[in-house]
Order: sequence, then C-alpha cells, then structure tokens
Amino acid sequence: MGDMTPPSHREGSRLAPLPPRPEELLLVALGAVPGALLRWLLQADPLANLLGCLVIGLVSGSVPARPRAMLMVGIGFCGSLTTFSGWILALERAIGLGSARGVSLLLLELVAGVLAVLLGRSLAGRLARRRPRQTLRR
Amino acid sequence: MALAPLPSPEAALLVALGAVPGAWLRFWLVNQLEPRLPRRHWGTFAVNLAACFGLGLLIASGHHERGMAASALPLLIGTGFLGSLSTFSTLAAELEGCLRQGERRQALVLALGSLLGGLLALLAGRGLGGWGT
Repeated sequence: MGDMTPPSHREGSRLAPLPPRPEELLLVALGAVPGALLRWLLQADPLANLLGCLVIGLVSGSVPARPRAMLMVGIGFCGSLTTFSGWILALERAIGLGSARGVSLLLLELVAGVLAVLLGRSLAGRLARRRPRQTLRR
Repeated sequence: MALAPLPSPEAALLVALGAVPGAWLRFWLVNQLEPRLPRRHWGTFAVNLAACFGLGLLIASGHHERGMAASALPLLIGTGFLGSLSTFSTLAAELEGCLRQGERRQALVLALGSLLGGLLALLAGRGLGGWGT
C-alpha cells in the first residue's frame, strides 16, 4: 500500500528511517485534534470507527496519491477519530458478559470497517474519473 | 446516539492535549518500525497492541471512565492519548489492501492476530497494573 506511506518514510533508507519533519508533525496534529474531539463528542465508537474507515478509503483511494492529505486526514484525523483500543475493550466486555450478540456485532464492525474502506476507495475512484488529472494511475 | 449536554472547554482541551502526542507517537513508531518489519502493517499492529496494554494499565489504576463528564486523567490519557494512539481505520485499510491484492491468508492472520493480541495486551496491562495495588 504505497499510497499510505508518509513522505518521511518513503525518503528514509530501509534501515534508518528519518525522523518526522516539523511540517509532517503539524499536519498530523491538525488532523488528530478534530478527530479525537469528534470521537469524544459522538460517544459512539462504532460510528466513529466506520466514519474513519470511509474517510481513509477516500483519501487512500485518491488518484494521484496525496501524501499531505494522507498525513493530515488519514494518519491524523482518521487515526485519532477511530480507536482500536476502545474496540478491544468493548470486545473484552462482551466476552466477559457472555454476550454472543455483542461479540458478533463487534466482529461485524471490523468487517463493516473493511467494506467502508472499499466504499471510500471506490467513491474516490469515481471522483477521479469525473475529474481526470494528468498523472497516470500506477 | 444521544448527544450529551455540551462539554466544557477544559474537557475538550484535555482530549486535544492527549490526542496530539498519541497521534505523533503512532506516526513516529509506525515510521520507525515498518522498515524493520517484514510486512508493513505490523507497525500499526504493534502500536495498537501498545495502546491496549496502556488501556489495561489505566483500568487497573482505577482511572478509566467514559462519557463526556469523565474526570481529567481519563479524558487526557484514555480518550485523548490512548484513543488517538490506536487506530481502527488503518487496520481496516490494511486488511482491505491485503484482500485487494489477493492475500487472504495475510488478511486473516492480521485480523485474528490484532484481535487476540489486543485482548491479550489489554489483559496483560490490567494484570500488571493490578499487581501493585
């Protein structure tokens, strides 16, 4: 998934990654703050998770790849909007309660997340076809 | 989804103050780890497990609360820092990427590994945090 690669990673050698540049840190932070605040305001992790999956699909599926948007929206916003630890905690509680329905719903959330990424990517692909750019698809 | 009464600006500030270092640590760790790992997505896997471990510690310390009106430490560390450190969207994107490239086995290993690893990390953090008390 080269399109998910932040610039500092791409420019770094294989064994010694470069430290993040200030500009990259700024972009990640600018996305992370609204992402975390939205998750907190929603108070509904599954909704936040699925929304984040849809948006990361939109960004990672955009042609040509947009590394700066990936940093701010993908890594910053979506990364902070969505939570894996919250999902695992909900799963642990559902298992503890012996709730087969709860466990099933949480497993379904991961499947739905993958589908939301797919949906985002296909929407991004359609937008790209509607507004063709010079750069060729890899 | 019931939108709770408006949160206080102080609470929002705490969430934001935790979120920035959480996202930075995730970004930095994934960048550090990925070139050293055989498959790129194990960097995100490691960060997610670390966040589950941290959440276990927070629960064991008795400082885990959810909701808008949680107190300062859970807002800063739980909702802000650990919530931003871990990511569900990148995991889903990596699973989708594996499936798109026909690597079904890799997707299954990543999904099950994340699920079991996350549960174990959470329990380990809670167990370790419970020892001292």
